[in-house]
Amino acid sequence: MDKLNIVLYDDRTTFVPRETVRGRLEWALETNPRYLELSLFWYTSGKGTRDVGVVGTAKFDDPGAHGTKDFSFTLPDGPYSFSGKLISLIWAVELTCHPGSETVRREITVSPTGREIVLGEVASARNPLESILGGRK
Amino acid sequence: MRARDNPFSVDRVHAIRFRPLDITFDEILLRLRELNYRTAITGPDGSGKTTLLEDLQPILQRKGLKTRMVFVNDTSPFDAPTCRRLLSELNRDEILLLDGADLIRRAFWSLLKRHTITHASGLVITSHKPGLLPTLIECATSATLLTEIVTALRPEGPGISLDLLDTLYKRHNGNLRDCLRELYDLYAQDA
Repeated sequence: MDKLNIVLYDDRTTFVPRETVRGRLEWALETNPRYLELSLFWYTSGKGTRDVGVVGTAKFDDPGAHGTKDFSFTLPDGPYSFSGKLISLIWAVELTCHPGSETVRREITVSPTGREIVLGEVASARNPLESILGGRK
Repeated sequence: MRARDNPFSVDRVHAIRFRPLDITFDEILLRLRELNYRTAITGPDGSGKTTLLEDLQPILQRKGLKTRMVFVNDTSPFDAPTCRRLLSELNRDEILLLDGADLIRRAFWSLLKRHTITHASGLVITSHKPGLLPTLIECATSATLLTEIVTALRPEGPGISLDLLDTLYKRHNGNLRDCLRELYDLYAQDA
């Protein structure tokens, strides 16, 4: 059975903007693929039309049926990972085998706070200005 | 509930493919061949016309047929430049898959219909009403189909009552897309 895997260093799935995502690709396929393609991208999920932004790609030609390969991508300033009731923005690293339909995806969070931004948190705070300023007078 | 967790998000709904009623895919393909790939998928809004057209593309490609997909809608109108570009780019060995043919102005449609007789190997369209080309299939929905799709979208968790689905189906006049949008809103508000 074909197997693709993405291992993120230190099992990290949370990153701040401009940080580098490092990891290792592992593959064990029944036949030699022509190439493997790794993408770093974000996409939206929710009620409306899906939007996608590809931030980086790496192509590995003639990788052989089995192997491993280290990779790294530097994240841009944004957009941040966020979720509301109508839309979520999700970052992911995805490895695809060509030809074939084998794909593996690892979701990551990109945020200056280290957590997905949840829309509505500021609005529901007792004093929105206070929550932005962190209690400063 | 976060949008990404909503079982009725657009990307999850898009993963549900066309489910023919009272006909098999093989029968649809046989009829497509008999009609020489010049035919129309008809039906009301939210009945699966576009989904079927999208599903036909990889099936035809696997059979070695070349296809070109064109979507016509409010955000992608079929204006004069679009028409000119399509007519100049279309190859004889391509089947044109055209979604929203009834949104094309009559003059452009006549031109396109005539042009594709000799400059394409087929023209498969979607249209709300029959008459533009011989009908391949008239898409239809049922409350049972809505229940099947909802079950496929949320196999776990508490069930949605059949009464609610029946009410939604009637309220939206069988438009499954609108039923699923309302279910999205219900889930978004609930949590």
